[in-house]
Amino acid sequence: MGVALVVGTKKGAAVLKSDDRKNWDVQFQLRGWPVTASARDDKGRTYVAVNSENYGVAIFVSDDLAEWKQLAGAPRYRPEDRGNAEHHRIVSQMDFTGLLKDGGRFVDQIWTLHWAHGALYAGVSEAGLFVSRDRGESWQPIDGFNNHPSRDSWTPGFGGLGAHTILTDGKNPNRMWVGVSAAGLFRTDDGGKTWNPKNKGVNPAVDSAPASTGQCIHHAAHDPANADVIFRQEHRGVHRSDDGGDTWRVIEDGLPVAELSDGHRCSFGFPMVMDRPSRSVFVVPLDGDNFRFPRSGQLAVYRSDDGERWRARTKGLPQNCYAGVLRGAMAVDQQSGIYFGTTSGSIYASSDLGESWREVASGLPRVMSVEVCTT
Amino acid sequence: MSVRVQLPPVLRSVMGGERWLEAQGNSIAAVLTDLARRHPALGLHFFDEQGAIRRNIVFLHDGEMVRAKDAGARRIEQGDEIVLTNALAGG
Repeated sequence: MGVALVVGTKKGAAVLKSDDRKNWDVQFQLRGWPVTASARDDKGRTYVAVNSENYGVAIFVSDDLAEWKQLAGAPRYRPEDRGNAEHHRIVSQMDFTGLLKDGGRFVDQIWTLHWAHGALYAGVSEAGLFVSRDRGESWQPIDGFNNHPSRDSWTPGFGGLGAHTILTDGKNPNRMWVGVSAAGLFRTDDGGKTWNPKNKGVNPAVDSAPASTGQCIHHAAHDPANADVIFRQEHRGVHRSDDGGDTWRVIEDGLPVAELSDGHRCSFGFPMVMDRPSRSVFVVPLDGDNFRFPRSGQLAVYRSDDGERWRARTKGLPQNCYAGVLRGAMAVDQQSGIYFGTTSGSIYASSDLGESWREVASGLPRVMSVEVCTT
Repeated sequence: MSVRVQLPPVLRSVMGGERWLEAQGNSIAAVLTDLARRHPALGLHFFDEQGAIRRNIVFLHDGEMVRAKDAGARRIEQGDEIVLTNALAGG
């Protein structure tokens, strides 16, 4: 079975190809563009999102993972959309000339691309959701989400106010979920017209945050064919819902628990993926929000087979690793293959549901996204 | 009037590797507008959602550096060359 990984890094995309999932060819493409997300549609076209602090956000496409073309369309807010001042402050590090305008709302990063039901969705920062129904050529804002009545209560997380996680129901195109840092998970049941926070049972990011829209979700995973069972990596721990997000409970049996900066104790991490055939869920715990690297330097992937209990898998992973794994930097090929990249530029691969790992690339820039497709 | 604009390396990938582009306009801002009209994919990188030139773009024209905020007032002449570059930072 052939596999291709599209690895988004701070300085371009690394495309890794393998015919046997043992030997890998690495090609570095889109040089100079920070690549933040990627997705593949059902006709085999790959989309990657780039964002430059100088030149903004755009989408490149490829049908062969070799030749890339930038599309003329990209998610963009309307001139009259109002922005979040705190988000501006966080993302304006490159505003050398102090010209960042107060008041406007800008797409400064595409956090995730998601293909479902014949449409391409983009979750962006400043937090918002856009859809393209012509393979990325043109984009429309989903106003029911972008102008949600609770938006004024949304508080940016450490990386700004970003919509970074999209889940869809394989059986019901009108139902989807979007995760926002740090406002939590939202669900629509009417094709995006209206959205409701789905955070009951999840602690807010800080005690002073709003109870219904103050959650700092880091990532979520589910099987679109069994969409109501959702797993969620939160700043404050790992949770599970069996009712489409209406209610949540903590599932941390076997996970390492860290003390967060505010004294709260839970399992902290970012990525979360699911292997659908086995229903196994994977996370990469870090030693809390102060340190953000694996505890004692042992890089470990934790797997849950029953959605309740977890066990570490470390075979082949380094014992002296002080890098992190970002939320978009882990992917599954749905054929027992699991892949992730680190902030120090290594790519690890497993072909046996995480029982053993191999470093298949190193020396890459900071890895921000990993997408996998079988060929 | 016709001028030439040199793209920075990262933007050349948008234009199939082209380094120099021909454009029309009597100010740097007008030249960018002309380029955006002819090449919409490139226009995404010049202008933000409110139509402003992206704040970290810098121009070199006639031996001087011109900031984005001054691009509308910077007059240019037939045959001028403009180097489009950007603020540099990071490792």
